[in-house]
Amino acid sequence: MENVKILICDDSILARKQLKDAIKKCGYDNFLEASNGQEAIDTYKEHKPELVFVDIVMPIKDGVEAIHEIREFDPTAHVIVVSSVGTQTQLKNAIMEGARDFIQKPFSISAINDIIRARFEGR
Amino acid sequence: MHTQFFGNFLLNKGVITPEQLIDILKIQSTAHKKLGTLAIHAGYMSASEVEDVFITQTHYDKLFGELAVELGYLTEDQVTELLALQLPNYMLLGQILIDQNIINHTDLENLITEYQSVYEIYDLELIEEQKHMVDKLLADFYLPEDLPHAEYILSYLTLLFNDLVRFIGEDFSTLNIMALPEVPTNFCIYQEVEGSFSFISALDMERETAITFASRYIKEELNEFDEYVTASMEDFLNLHNGLYSVNMSNDHSMELHLQPPMEQEGDLLSTGCPSYLLPIIFSFGTVNFIFSVEKIEE
Repeated sequence: MENVKILICDDSILARKQLKDAIKKCGYDNFLEASNGQEAIDTYKEHKPELVFVDIVMPIKDGVEAIHEIREFDPTAHVIVVSSVGTQTQLKNAIMEGARDFIQKPFSISAINDIIRARFEGR
Repeated sequence: MHTQFFGNFLLNKGVITPEQLIDILKIQSTAHKKLGTLAIHAGYMSASEVEDVFITQTHYDKLFGELAVELGYLTEDQVTELLALQLPNYMLLGQILIDQNIINHTDLENLITEYQSVYEIYDLELIEEQKHMVDKLLADFYLPEDLPHAEYILSYLTLLFNDLVRFIGEDFSTLNIMALPEVPTNFCIYQEVEGSFSFISALDMERETAITFASRYIKEELNEFDEYVTASMEDFLNLHNGLYSVNMSNDHSMELHLQPPMEQEGDLLSTGCPSYLLPIIFSFGTVNFIFSVEKIEE
């Protein structure tokens, strides 16, 4: 398996753990983590991860702002929104900012698997 | 759902003490079979299908049976059959009271007759009736008369009871709601929800209680109070408020925005607006639910 970097951005340590556990089952385990939107932007700029998962509701800067700034820095950034129930409006904004796809919490392993395969298959 | 109200009814009548109620809830938590368990037992659903319904319940505020039919796992006839196998919860509670020699069969019969006549319960198997009854019980039982926009708060509390049953367990009962200017807290998670209806809601409990609450929510055994416990409480509150904002959007075309959950410990929760405290007694400890309305636009 290639050693691709995956950035997980969520203010909940529980949500980050659940997402990492699911991605590990798909064979990837090189993670970067951020617990708010600003950290996500800074970490992205420093490490340029191949795939980014961003929660919408976060302190300091929310997911929509983070996606905007990450895509401004790198228009090819591959960002997936991890939305919670009840955040439809922000989800729409996140997609308009250039998020490639979204998953809704709590997610199934197969949803994560689909995203990982769509991103890395055929590289 | 009925134990929660029948328990409160018995407490208010002085038939049982809070200590006896907690003991009964502990027994009940192991005695009651859920619809999903019954469906697996009957061979109608696989464990993964039941899990799928549970996950779907975190996205839609619907009953287990309702979703199982929509997803094609059960027929309506099968749901009716399984519901008939489920002893109504308040009957189960009554059975435990008799087993514990707290009351006899005649007492139970009289109490149930009174409970049913007060709350107009006729057919517990009907889902619609159940929804109706929860609304009526909440309207008559818990809400202070001066509560502004009671219908929004009523639907919020109905969803809260459903979410507690779905994600934490059925072994709880409630005390009456109290209106307070500010609320002393143990370990408290709160979240602000903004929109034309703005409010702060909070979960508050002792650390020991929080460990069990979190373990049940994430279905994993947690042994100490750590950041996973905090994150689980936040996740529950966030999910519950999220479902509520979906309901408000669907039912009232009202868009609400959730702020990230915050925490505080051993301090007064003071929102500057009247707060309502609802103590919820679980078999493993008391969970205080706090609700504070900041603004309602007409």
